[in-house]
Amino acid sequence: MIKLLKKGMTTVLCAAILLTSAAGLSGCGSSDGKDAGGKKELTFQIWDVAQKEGMEALASAYTEENPDVTIEVQVTSWDEYWTKLEAAAEGNQLPDIFWMHTNELLKYADNGILADVTDLYDDESKTYYEDKFSDVSIDNTKGSDGNMYGVPKDKDTIGLVYNKEMFDAAGVAYPDENWTWDDLVAASEKINAATGKYGYMAYADDQIGYWNFVYQAGGYILNEDKTEGGFTNPATVKAMEFYIGLQQNEWCPDQNYFAETSPGTAFFSEQGAMYYEGCWNLKSLMENNPEMVGKWDVAVLPKCPDPVSGDGRASISNGLCYATAAKGENLETAKDFLKFLGSEEGQKIQGESGAAIPAYIGLEDTWVKVFDAFDYKLAVQKYIDMFEYGIQSVNSASRPVWKSKVSDELLKIYSGESTIDEGLQNMQDAVDQAIAAE
Amino acid sequence: MGKNKTKRLNSEGFWGYLMIAPTILGLMMLNIYPFIKTVILSFSSTKAFGQYEFSGISNYKEMLGNAEFWKATWNSIYFCILTVPVGVFISLLVAVFLNEKIKGRVIFRAIYFLPMVVAPAAVAMVWKWMFNTEYGIINEVFGIHVNWLTNPSIVLGTCAIVAIWSAIGYDAVLLLSGIQNISGSYYEAASLDGAGKIKQFIHITLPMVSPTIFVVVIMRLMASLKVYDLIYMMVEQSNPSLTSAQSLMYLFYRESFVAGDKGYASAIVVWTVLLIGFVTAIQFWGQKKWVHYDV
Repeated sequence: MIKLLKKGMTTVLCAAILLTSAAGLSGCGSSDGKDAGGKKELTFQIWDVAQKEGMEALASAYTEENPDVTIEVQVTSWDEYWTKLEAAAEGNQLPDIFWMHTNELLKYADNGILADVTDLYDDESKTYYEDKFSDVSIDNTKGSDGNMYGVPKDKDTIGLVYNKEMFDAAGVAYPDENWTWDDLVAASEKINAATGKYGYMAYADDQIGYWNFVYQAGGYILNEDKTEGGFTNPATVKAMEFYIGLQQNEWCPDQNYFAETSPGTAFFSEQGAMYYEGCWNLKSLMENNPEMVGKWDVAVLPKCPDPVSGDGRASISNGLCYATAAKGENLETAKDFLKFLGSEEGQKIQGESGAAIPAYIGLEDTWVKVFDAFDYKLAVQKYIDMFEYGIQSVNSASRPVWKSKVSDELLKIYSGESTIDEGLQNMQDAVDQAIAAE
Repeated sequence: MGKNKTKRLNSEGFWGYLMIAPTILGLMMLNIYPFIKTVILSFSSTKAFGQYEFSGISNYKEMLGNAEFWKATWNSIYFCILTVPVGVFISLLVAVFLNEKIKGRVIFRAIYFLPMVVAPAAVAMVWKWMFNTEYGIINEVFGIHVNWLTNPSIVLGTCAIVAIWSAIGYDAVLLLSGIQNISGSYYEAASLDGAGKIKQFIHITLPMVSPTIFVVVIMRLMASLKVYDLIYMMVEQSNPSLTSAQSLMYLFYRESFVAGDKGYASAIVVWTVLLIGFVTAIQFWGQKKWVHYDV
């Protein structure tokens, strides 16, 4: 009896294991290419729901010409995207095509996860990437070995967003190309005195915040060959002292305020006159704040009046790329789709969808034109103008490691727990140690 | 006769095993196996994409020498001190009142239980706005200017208020069921002897409901030591008081998923498990002194 029982148990256990594992397989199986009726099924993973339609337009443009392929666009929120993607990479279950961000690109590329697509366009031109994309775009897609691990998708810059009504109320001229940090401060003072509202809202952020100031002053976050940090460089120190010091002014909220109210929220509830914003948010800001349309506009970043080196101009320019897995089952098809994504046609479709500026040189206007649809036309061309002096968004293979450490140190300076000098030294150590451990 | 009995038991045993098989399998695959893996990882140095190599106790060495880690440990314990006694006491009061014959009792019970049904993320979002220094309703109503979420010495207290508020309903319902199991004859006898409501509460209700209180205290302690979602939602990573609010699980999240150091993060988890085990062991030892099972 007991024997029988044991046997029964084993059968049940086996059945249960089989069942659950089969369920598991079918769960993940969708990312494998299947030749269902001779059709290749590709998956395309992205994180921005606002760009889903644009990506679907790209997919259908491609599948129209290649009827034997179907492409499914899947959206995962930014927070989950990287956890999921890393797990998928470990299990060799990566989607066929996915977006890559400079924050993580080197980690994936240097570990051999991404397919090398340097020679993707060799049949068209050996210098396709150099001809069609800017140096910054290409650098944002390169692995540490200098090879291309994706096809540039878009590019962005950081600009100054300002409230026109508050400038009018204080009798201050709108920001223009000649503005310097001093004008930023002077305008903030006047607006605060006249309206009681906040002026420029400077908060703890790297890409949209202090990085811009550091590079304008002639400093750097990482040296050129990415072997050490630049937080103790005199120009960096100068910029950081200025930027962090802004919160000492009455017209700038302190970091406690920003921990609860983001500068964008404060700006669009008309509590402050200026803040920095990336171009990728402009379209949704217009759509989500219809009552504010016409009351605000954008300008280029104010320059550093007395840079330690350089001309005082800079705007951090990041960019995404489309990538595919080195060990993907549908590598050839995926590569062919990638090739389409980086073509003029593919980049144009993306620009017209409006969420991001195409990386392809000469197609910037497709993005600018999207803003014609609104009652008030933002001066979005200013964001395009800044590509001239755009600085590549800072990255290194160990960026995921030092990113949070540096940001913790910055918060300690803001809260007064450490002095600027101590804090910058700690940031320097954090970056150098992370690079040493790479 | 005897043979028949064994047969029946066995077939009952078979069906029993069959019924619990899905749970056991789930536990094995989703809890026990990952736990073993976590312990292994805690003794390894990890690199990207699941590569790891044995590195002895280096993660633990680093952890024990890290001020941030000790701060997080203290934060977790402090959070328990703030939430458990007050939370359980209020829940008990609520349960006692909900047991009285008051008008609209069912509605009150439903209202108190409601926070339990709402997603913690939604709860935290709403409270965060209420606690906003500049525009929050709490500072507005009381005409004060308190940095509820950004003052390092207040922030955990603020989180504790929200945690207590969310937990009262569930705990009160558990305690209520305990109270309802007490036979009415005890109270009748006591009131005949001239004992007032307060005396009845102390000498009848408290001892009789103590097994339920024990369960509630243990559950609440474990939940508080493992607190993560609430603090993560209330205290963003741009908040200067982050280090004063960061619990062990929050630190684990940041080390594991933000910084990507899974080995070190696993060591934090193992430490937390030991901590919870230790606290629970003390509980079980201590219960002999105050929990009455035989009534």
